[in-house]
Amino acid sequence: MSATTDWPIAIRTVDLARPLHPLTGVSTYSRVRVFISDGPTLLGSVDMWSRGAPTISTTRLRDAIAARVAAPLFTRRLVDRLVADEPPEAIMPATRVSIIVPTCDRPDDLRRCLASLVAQRTRHDVEIVVVDNRPSCDAARSVAGQFPSVRLVTESRPGLSFARNTGIARASGTIIVATDDDVVAPETWIETLVEPFARPDVMAVTGHVLPLELETEAQCRFEAYGGLGKGFQPFEVNGDWFRNRRTAVPTWLIGATANAAFRAAIFADPDIGLMDEALGAGTPTGCSEDTYVFYRILKAGHTIAYEPSAYVWHRHRASMESLRSQIYAYSKGHVAYHLMTWLADGDRRALVRLFYSLPKTYARRAWQRIRRHSDYPLSLILLEVLGNLAGPYALWRSKRRARRLGLSERLPLESAHAVSMEGPVAQGPAAQPAVAPLARPAR
Amino acid sequence: MKLLTVELESPLPDVPPPTVGEQWVLVRLHREPLGLLHFTRHGCTAAQLARLIADRFGHRILTHLVADALAGGASVSLESPAADCPRLRPMTLPSLTVAVCTRDGAARLSECLDGLAALEYPGGHLDRLVVDNAPRDDGARRVVERYPSIRYVVEPLAGLDRARNRAIVEARGEIIAFTDDDVSVDGLWAEAIGRLFASEPDVDTVTGLVVADEIDVEPQRLFERYGGFSRGFDRQYFRVDTASGERAARRHVGAGRFGTGANMAFRRRLFDRIGLFDPALDVGTPTNGGGDLEMFFRVLKEGGTLAYEPSAIVRHRHRRTYDALRTQLANNGIGFYAHLVRTAHHYPDERAGVVRFGAWWFWRWNVTRLARSFVRPGDFPRDLILAELRGCFTGLRRYARAKEQAARAASLDAQPPTASTANGAIT
Repeated sequence: MSATTDWPIAIRTVDLARPLHPLTGVSTYSRVRVFISDGPTLLGSVDMWSRGAPTISTTRLRDAIAARVAAPLFTRRLVDRLVADEPPEAIMPATRVSIIVPTCDRPDDLRRCLASLVAQRTRHDVEIVVVDNRPSCDAARSVAGQFPSVRLVTESRPGLSFARNTGIARASGTIIVATDDDVVAPETWIETLVEPFARPDVMAVTGHVLPLELETEAQCRFEAYGGLGKGFQPFEVNGDWFRNRRTAVPTWLIGATANAAFRAAIFADPDIGLMDEALGAGTPTGCSEDTYVFYRILKAGHTIAYEPSAYVWHRHRASMESLRSQIYAYSKGHVAYHLMTWLADGDRRALVRLFYSLPKTYARRAWQRIRRHSDYPLSLILLEVLGNLAGPYALWRSKRRARRLGLSERLPLESAHAVSMEGPVAQGPAAQPAVAPLARPAR
Repeated sequence: MKLLTVELESPLPDVPPPTVGEQWVLVRLHREPLGLLHFTRHGCTAAQLARLIADRFGHRILTHLVADALAGGASVSLESPAADCPRLRPMTLPSLTVAVCTRDGAARLSECLDGLAALEYPGGHLDRLVVDNAPRDDGARRVVERYPSIRYVVEPLAGLDRARNRAIVEARGEIIAFTDDDVSVDGLWAEAIGRLFASEPDVDTVTGLVVADEIDVEPQRLFERYGGFSRGFDRQYFRVDTASGERAARRHVGAGRFGTGANMAFRRRLFDRIGLFDPALDVGTPTNGGGDLEMFFRVLKEGGTLAYEPSAIVRHRHRRTYDALRTQLANNGIGFYAHLVRTAHHYPDERAGVVRFGAWWFWRWNVTRLARSFVRPGDFPRDLILAELRGCFTGLRRYARAKEQAARAASLDAQPPTASTANGAIT
């Protein structure tokens, strides 16, 4: 009955290092989501309603922000004080960073993305590689041509993993950064994302993904579905976390290739290798090439760090139709991923996930919806279940398709060596050659 | 015992054990209330009080300091909280009229007027006004004469809402703040209201915190157990998106959570847009209440914004006798349902929501509490619950009668309220 809806939601940012100003131009939105940072550190977000009021005053904004960030801010200050006497941690030396941007006929998004990438403020030597996954269309070439520092590579085999792997093979950086063409990065992004690699055991870093806009129902629903971000709390996972779990390792909680960085060396490592070309957008499975790479990295005993302050803005699909196909694809890919870990890696925890926890999760969510404890529609839950059921067949088809199109060759180990030698040189006993972490940890 | 106020900037006092009733302690930091502590039998030392405050209000204090730092413009530093609150820096305040409506209240008026005369309002002009409603003698007038800074006005027609309308007409300030004669206002009450209006141009109405002035006798304790007037210690904002068709009644017709008539303030120009208080409502008419609630709802329904400002504090002297408490609760029922009838008549588009809310509230509040009183008789006296429950039915019939009476009185008087000094105003 209510004519008001929970969208659109206006997006605003507030930096605590600068004076607060009233939020204006919010009268046509039902809510405002304010992302709060303190300098380069992302602290959290707070939702405020506007209900047709043209502005939200400084007083109101201040109250809401103070209530949201008081605890995290206090924790940070406390930590700063406790470690004040410790020697500073190793700083990541300047290195060569390659950003791989696969694109598929979305010139406007690509232009916005590249504009933000060339504006990065960083010590590192940044190389931007655009992989055109639909070379028959001229769009990407003309956009990339507007940015002289951008390298354009073409990949005619359709599929995000094919494109990403081609980009990786042609990139010259020690660090490979994966992102998408519908992403906009703040200017401190690369610097923050690469910093955790100062520690030699870190093989991958993921960052937060914030919504660029929440103008339509589909965009708001996608964000409510979980979005692509993984929260405002930094964390890291490693081989112990991988081995000590009785249920399937929730690699999907680590992040996504919309915002992730890897040491280039892992793609030449026989234990890890390139992105699996049977998984990922543009294939019948639809997604999960990123989670599977995380899986292999963790299985090899390495560390992955999640750094929320290395955030990017992602423009979610605007129409309900594309939201549905995306959620369907995610559900297919999720099952395909678990089958992969079972079939290729012999991980039987996947079966527990597929036949016990996943059905239980759906039952619980449907029950919550029926009891009105959640407003996630039943139709989307059903869609997810259908996607799950389609998963095994999708994986089989996808495998055959990838073989037919021709799999990419694994990178030669020597080139990885060459790459790693110019890698980060840490001080002291940690100054192992960067390939050292690739050695299998003792079990 | 009288309410004890503790300011965290000054050294903490010992709390003596209450000799009568309960000792309540209002804890404030930089004038902002953090919360209440209750001592029923024992007191505590200053050190124990400090621990209690840190335990109960630690997060609130932290939040306050972070907000201070944000207002200070500097980057947030928790190591050295500002000695004075940067949010209390001098600013230009809008002119404000404080109006006390009283009826035969000579006996209790002087305590209220002491507080009124002592109000601080730096940075703006403050105008103090007492409206005497249908006085039977000149007792109130003689009390007011003792205070040179306070104006006295008579509203001859009975009814609290009529007195409020008189105050609106006589007021000289851009803002008009109302309170009752059975409260004492905090010294910073007017300033807190003025600051909120000055910094929030969109806000049309402000309500504030009402705390019990004393908890001496059982009826006062019972009133607090009933729910009291307290609406919490967080600043809050309310608004309805009328432009996109949101219905106000669904969530807001039970306007009691916004505050009460003992502590409310409006931009005076708001009344040009949405009209004056309804003279058929509130004390002095058959409806015996509901005038404030109806106005809060009308503000939201007409697209206004309402803010609750806990720093605007008044202390209310609850009824001391059981009979007076029962009458008050019965009037709550009558006044609230009279407001629902009035609102349903006035806004046909909200009618369904009003009816639904009225039914839901009757079930959720009155019937449920009555049922519980059979399971746990000690919780709340059943006759008080029944008094309010009966009041609900009475209230449904009363509005029509009150409206008729109001129309008759107005035609007899044949003089709508206009600004004049003829009605016995002395300056």
